[in-house]
Amino acid sequence: MNRRAVIAITRKDIRSITANIQVWLPMVMIPIFFSVLLPIIVVFAARASKGDIVSDMQIILDMLEKLPESSLKRIMGSLRTDQQRIVYIMFNYLMSPFFLIIPVMIASTVSIDSFVGEKERGTLEGLLLAPVNMLSIFAAKVLAAFLPAIGVSLVSFVLFAICANVSAWPLFGRVFFPHINWAPLVLLVMPAVSLFAILINVFISTRVSTFQAGYQLGGILVLPLVAVMIGQFTGFMLLDTGILFAVGVILMIIDYALLRIIVKRLDRAWLFESQVR
Amino acid sequence: MIQVDNITKRYGEQPAVNRLSFQVADGEILGLIGPNGAGKTTTIRILCGVVKPDAGKVRVAGYDPGEQGDEVRSGIGVLTETAALYPNFSGIENLRFFAELYGVDDPGRPDELIEEFGLGEHKNRKAGTYSTGMKKRLGLAKALLHKPSILLLDEPTSGLDPAGIAMVLEEIERLNTERGVTVVLCSHVLHQLETVCRRYVIIDRGQVLAQGTVRELAKSHPGPCVVEVDTDYDLDGDVYCGVPATRLSTGHTRFILSSRDEVPRLIRELSQNASVYSVVLKGEDLQSVYFRLTEGTQDE
Repeated sequence: MNRRAVIAITRKDIRSITANIQVWLPMVMIPIFFSVLLPIIVVFAARASKGDIVSDMQIILDMLEKLPESSLKRIMGSLRTDQQRIVYIMFNYLMSPFFLIIPVMIASTVSIDSFVGEKERGTLEGLLLAPVNMLSIFAAKVLAAFLPAIGVSLVSFVLFAICANVSAWPLFGRVFFPHINWAPLVLLVMPAVSLFAILINVFISTRVSTFQAGYQLGGILVLPLVAVMIGQFTGFMLLDTGILFAVGVILMIIDYALLRIIVKRLDRAWLFESQVR
Repeated sequence: MIQVDNITKRYGEQPAVNRLSFQVADGEILGLIGPNGAGKTTTIRILCGVVKPDAGKVRVAGYDPGEQGDEVRSGIGVLTETAALYPNFSGIENLRFFAELYGVDDPGRPDELIEEFGLGEHKNRKAGTYSTGMKKRLGLAKALLHKPSILLLDEPTSGLDPAGIAMVLEEIERLNTERGVTVVLCSHVLHQLETVCRRYVIIDRGQVLAQGTVRELAKSHPGPCVVEVDTDYDLDGDVYCGVPATRLSTGHTRFILSSRDEVPRLIRELSQNASVYSVVLKGEDLQSVYFRLTEGTQDE
């Protein structure tokens, strides 16, 4: 691995994102909505609605009664009012998919552009003519999508935690978010799901002729898989932290296997002949 | 040294390069010439290891580009037709980025080259706003970042103004004489090549038509020798001493000889009858030889 080249290509790709307001603004605005406005709206609605929202969410409250024994169930049992229980479950459980959607969304946009974007700008030839092995180029492209995706998601998570605790302070009088189960979500599952989307999208990017085609294909191939992962993991959030860590590790192993398969199929001459005019 | 031995490369059914063989000695400047679609760019790409030949062997500085591509690319500087620069980065940012990729340790090297190629004033402008000539010069600076021992230049003077052309050709000459850099140069502008190249490989449809120095090519593919003479002889008719002649303008006459061996006799006779101010041999330059070699093949 050519570390110097990896850093240079990663930095160059990230700079391409930050230099273009049309690219980075949506990447920042959507997470800000999720992490700042949404928690304030949710707490405000819960506090203003009094009994209505409780009856609307009775199904969820009933379901929580039937949960297997876990730390989340014990905490829910210790809360005094249904309002507290609903706000707690909204933030600590129902909003967890947002923090998988945000990194996947950012990662997909950047990673689809990785090779086909170079092709469309006429710069792929220069990159492939440099004395940098394909593994380093690939690693740099993956990093250039991974770092902004995880960076924006982590900042969003911190903002979300602050906004949630501040806005719900009158209700709890203490820090109620995040539950310990967010640790494996943020530290393992979020990076693993993002990496999964990036690996497939970068691979697609080496195969398609235009960014648009790559975006379509990425949407068809990656989104359903990621949706299944997010759906499954949201269910796991109700279980014990240990199980969640195990799920995160399994996802990492899947990523590693995928990485090995893709790296074996990287061929400079094939890429050059198929993508450079 | 570059050794190309019987290489073939097909795109579908169409051979881009067909049993092509040639060599380039260390320190040589070789002109690789041929019409559009002759296989020049494919050949350059094979030498760089980014296109794999279907058959044949290639060695560049002792390495096989197909198997040891990074070793080959570390030692060669390549200028492609499009220069492949990042349009949203400034000229100097482009050079700094590629300096990292080529492992250049001297942090002053990009600035040194951008000044050398006359782009110092524009180094902070986005490369996308550069003119074709400026892009070409920046591309050349990029190719020289890591001080390569071999330069592969595809149309290095296209889009340049006369001053730019002269500067690029002088730079190629200087690199060759001072540092012994081996150069393979592809160009359509044959008279420019003649000022720097020592030897030529003429290819068409992926095959070598001929190779050698201009003298060797002219000798092996003889044609009528055209001599234009600046003289005060007043030509009467269209033959002079048995040689077909045409009066081009006052004091300017063209003679068509069957070979260059007849030139001394003609000039001797002419100087006995009139003053001779200059003699230009037209049929033995690269362009004439090239057209003789490719005549007919382009129309088929």
